[in-house]
Amino acid sequence: MSNTKKTLSRTSQNILKIDTFSCIRCGLTVSAAAGDGIRRNHCPSCLHSQHVQDRVEGGPSDCQGRMSPIAIAVLRTGDWMVIHRCVRCDELTANPICADDNQLILMRIAVRPLAQPPFPLETFGDL
Amino acid sequence: MPRRSRSAHGRARANRRPQRHKDVLHRQGGHRANDFRCVGCRLDVSSEAPGTTHRNHCPNCLASLHVDRRIPGDRAASCRGRMEALSMSVRPDGEWMIIHQCRSCGELSANRIAGDDNALILVRLAVKPLRDPGIARRLFLVP
Repeated sequence: MSNTKKTLSRTSQNILKIDTFSCIRCGLTVSAAAGDGIRRNHCPSCLHSQHVQDRVEGGPSDCQGRMSPIAIAVLRTGDWMVIHRCVRCDELTANPICADDNQLILMRIAVRPLAQPPFPLETFGDL
Repeated sequence: MPRRSRSAHGRARANRRPQRHKDVLHRQGGHRANDFRCVGCRLDVSSEAPGTTHRNHCPNCLASLHVDRRIPGDRAASCRGRMEALSMSVRPDGEWMIIHQCRSCGELSANRIAGDDNALILVRLAVKPLRDPGIARRLFLVP
């Protein structure tokens, strides 16, 4: 979740519509509530996040590192999830994407494995 | 088959040569101590993997077991849940990484692929986001 410690204590039910945070990477000021009312946890422009919640212990994390998007995961329902990785402590998190996320960056993460395959992909055309 | 008398059978057993001593240990601490059997497809997997020193997933079905916490090989996790390959990621140097997720506790981990991993399963995992039929609408290619 990419918000400050002050707003972390509020639950997702009572976040204000005017609540904002600024992105740790691109500096964009975005509203903390996405269009469909759920709480945003990454910047919609560059998809970066901040490591403020510890996944193992469940409480707030002291790391505060930048979390960069590394992969796209697909749920059984077909929804996409963004896998974030903290650049300081290598923690991994999975977050659902929002409707107003940057589709260009999402697609670039999704096709990146096929751009640099470790083996030739020509043989898979015969299968 | 003619039935032998009990006495002849007992004499044959007494004359049998004692079993030879085995200096190859197949049990704990033996030469195959780090081999494992896959939780997904029950394949017997040896610990030697080409291209990596840490074999951490099955080369056939890419399933893993939640035994390590943060450091590879520390065996500090008490979960022992089954970890299945969730998605594919790429390092900046172009190396593929498998993102595993534990079915039991939801923990995520990133692991390098090995040289003998099943290439078809790897590519299927890599193209999984692109199989979505609504992808053209998402990219505004069709109205």
